[in-house]
Amino acid sequence: MSRGARPTYVVAQAWQLVRGSPWLAAVSSLTVALTLTLIGLLAMVLFNANHLMRELGRNLTLSVYLAESAPVDHVASVRKQLEGKAGIKRIRTLSREEDRARNRRLLSPELLQGLDEAAIPGQPMLEVEIDAELASRGDVDELVAWTKQLKGVDSVEDVEFGAEKLRLLFALVEIARTIGLVLAVVLLASAMFFVFTTIRLAVFSRKDEIEVLSLVGATPGFIRLPFLVEGALQGLLGAAIAAGLLGLLHLELRSLVRDVYMLNVAWSLLPPGMVAWLVVGGPAVGLVASALSVGRYLKV
Amino acid sequence: MIQLYHVSKRYPNGTDALVDVTLRVREGEFVFLTGPSGAGKSTMLRLLMVMERATDGQILIGGRNIHALRDASVPFLRRNIGMIFQDFRLIPRRSVFDNIAISLEIMGMGGREIGRRVNQLLEGLRLIHRAGSYPGDLSAGEQQRVAIARALVNEPAILLADEPTGNLDPELGQEILQLLLDVGRRGTTVVVATHDHTLIDRYGLRTIVLTRGQVSEDRPRVVGRVWDRPPSAAEVGPAVAPPGAVADAQAAFFADDGAEAP
Repeated sequence: MSRGARPTYVVAQAWQLVRGSPWLAAVSSLTVALTLTLIGLLAMVLFNANHLMRELGRNLTLSVYLAESAPVDHVASVRKQLEGKAGIKRIRTLSREEDRARNRRLLSPELLQGLDEAAIPGQPMLEVEIDAELASRGDVDELVAWTKQLKGVDSVEDVEFGAEKLRLLFALVEIARTIGLVLAVVLLASAMFFVFTTIRLAVFSRKDEIEVLSLVGATPGFIRLPFLVEGALQGLLGAAIAAGLLGLLHLELRSLVRDVYMLNVAWSLLPPGMVAWLVVGGPAVGLVASALSVGRYLKV
Repeated sequence: MIQLYHVSKRYPNGTDALVDVTLRVREGEFVFLTGPSGAGKSTMLRLLMVMERATDGQILIGGRNIHALRDASVPFLRRNIGMIFQDFRLIPRRSVFDNIAISLEIMGMGGREIGRRVNQLLEGLRLIHRAGSYPGDLSAGEQQRVAIARALVNEPAILLADEPTGNLDPELGQEILQLLLDVGRRGTTVVVATHDHTLIDRYGLRTIVLTRGQVSEDRPRVVGRVWDRPPSAAEVGPAVAPPGAVADAQAAFFADDGAEAP
């Protein structure tokens, strides 16, 4: 007997509800958008930081830069000192040309165009690969201590150890994650509050209409559906705005990484499936908030 | 079609709106329900629509005991009962067409079929030129005709009217009542609550008088009066309630309709 509401009818009614209080609906959508943008941004930062840390961790090396004029026996002595330490996987001696060739691969092709070969930095060095397990534990205090000692050795110009940067990155990501999560929870709560309030006001402003629908024999589900769809629509609109903002942020971030840090990033900066998550997440937030509101205020 | 057995309704504040009312309205009958204000007319209609539940007694509609009706089944009962009100209760934000279409939308009918039925009814009521208007732009008489269209478009077995002419001047009141008579002549059971005695006296139809919540008089229809005149097509134009698939659905709800056959 009852086949349920026609989708076109439900969407048209939901749109009427949005038009009934456009400003409030806009505020709701914007709060949803803000929430989703922040969560998306957080996901982007965490995703890229994790990626970066994995990359760094995999190739964690201690770079010992040698003086141009370092005698061969000095180099051998430094190498011997290093070989005696625990946690060292492999040591490679690189000439200036070899170092330059490696740097060329790291730089972006646009940057290299028209560049004199000699302008690419290169220096004789020892590349010390650290045991991956040691690196992944982040237990690098000991290594840090004796890289400082190495700096005093003749013929060693500088020592660069990626683990120090890695540890800083770890700490920054941890802080970003905590702040981001707290902010996301607060924003999510306020987004839901705005949708909840919008739907509550829509229910109040349609009291007469709800009564008429009930009298002509509409089921509670039929009466409630447009209100739920209105909430979902607000969420969807918020998700669309968030997707646009994140897209712009992504483009900015990519050009920043390429042009300012001049790095060739091999991976995409956007976490996989993020757009799909936004498109599902926005309406879901709206739907849950409107369901709470309808459950509380729309008595049939 | 409608049976009340010892029905009482007492409100929480102690007011007795109906006291031990027993009556029967047969299928296709046209009944006036009258009495002074507060006599229980509206309460009776509210009980029939299950907007309220009786304190005591049994109410059968189409053979179904609505006292025992689950809340979830109430909407399906209401689809078989058209109701019109003194204040029309149209939705101001929806067009005339959409106000009438509601009764079919709730049943999940397809858009094309809805358009066909609503337009047919609007033509019958000479309101087709108002299809896109909003209730606020209509005269009181037009608004009540739209409300009647909304009540009839899904071909209910019963039509209840609560003071349908109360907000209209006498001439328009006559017109609306004529419309209801035509609906009745086509087989719909019609109950009209009114305290307009000029209307009641004019038509000589069955009249139930309520006084302080009790049936004080039940006057039968006067044979040979208005009711027995054949319906004039000119009064309402072509079919007000076109027969169709909706009627079959109603038959399914009133499964044991035969139980009340005399």
